[in-house]
Amino acid sequence: MRRYFFEVLALALIGGSMFFFKEAIDYLARRDYVASLIVMMIGLAVITVGKEMARLALVQRD
Amino acid sequence: MDAAAEPVPERRWRRFADVVALTLGANVWLSLVIIPSVQIGALRGTATLVVALLPLLVLGAGIAVRSELLLLGGFPSTLLAPISLNPAIAAAHLFGPVRFFVVALGVVAYLLAGSYFMAFHEPATPRSARPLASSTEPRADRWRRRERVYWTLTALSVVCPLLGIYWVNFDPAINAFMQQMYPGRVASMSTLLNVTVLALWLVVYLHVFLGALKPHRTGDRELVTDLGILRSQAKSGRPRLRFHLAVAAALILMGVLVYMRRG
Repeated sequence: MRRYFFEVLALALIGGSMFFFKEAIDYLARRDYVASLIVMMIGLAVITVGKEMARLALVQRD
Repeated sequence: MDAAAEPVPERRWRRFADVVALTLGANVWLSLVIIPSVQIGALRGTATLVVALLPLLVLGAGIAVRSELLLLGGFPSTLLAPISLNPAIAAAHLFGPVRFFVVALGVVAYLLAGSYFMAFHEPATPRSARPLASSTEPRADRWRRRERVYWTLTALSVVCPLLGIYWVNFDPAINAFMQQMYPGRVASMSTLLNVTVLALWLVVYLHVFLGALKPHRTGDRELVTDLGILRSQAKSGRPRLRFHLAVAAALILMGVLVYMRRG
């Protein structure tokens, strides 16, 4: 399980960030631009953490 | 190098690569521009015809000079020219979810094939060959993990923008809000949202997907150094100063919150 930890985490975070991007599009459709911007920032933060997990998975030795 | 002096396999590969790029590029041009334009009767006037033919000219020029910039940047960008003149070409009702994914598959196939064949070079036949000792051993776990991560990032870099464009154009709840909030301007608002999704994906692609792989090309020295520092700090068994500062800040802010609620 430890072997796949960072890969699974990276996939979950990058895939999960799509939820926030969908919510951002939803808020844009409702003309709630501030909420859309905030949710988009959250999505970008989550996908950035996913990227760091992917980097850790790539440098992991075992 | 003189074409006549090139080995035959190299010329065949180049011809094959050119045919594949032309076929897939023409498929994308037809699916995204010509067929929808014919459906809505948008191919009228010399200017419209010229703009509709522009992507094909850029594709031909890119194949002729074997330019990655033209094939992977110029051609996809010029596909947006007829759509920006007449946004109804990209209207959701012309595409439908199934047709959207088929067209998207064509675009992804063109981009992958174009980038693969532009970078491909048939290596010269070696004078002698001998397998390395390590080639007979099973592949180490870290190499299999790296390949899994490469494939995962590639798949996600395709799925993410497709999902974004699908939600803008075909999600029922979002469509209902668009009809309600932007009456009479749904098509132009959808186009703006599509462009926003593509711009955001470009930022995410450069920052996240390439951002994870670029340092990996040279062993990600920065991350390995940070991990080494963290390991030596963890061995000391004591938390760092920032831990104490963060705990103090959290306690102070909790105290302020309680004071504001009570006071």
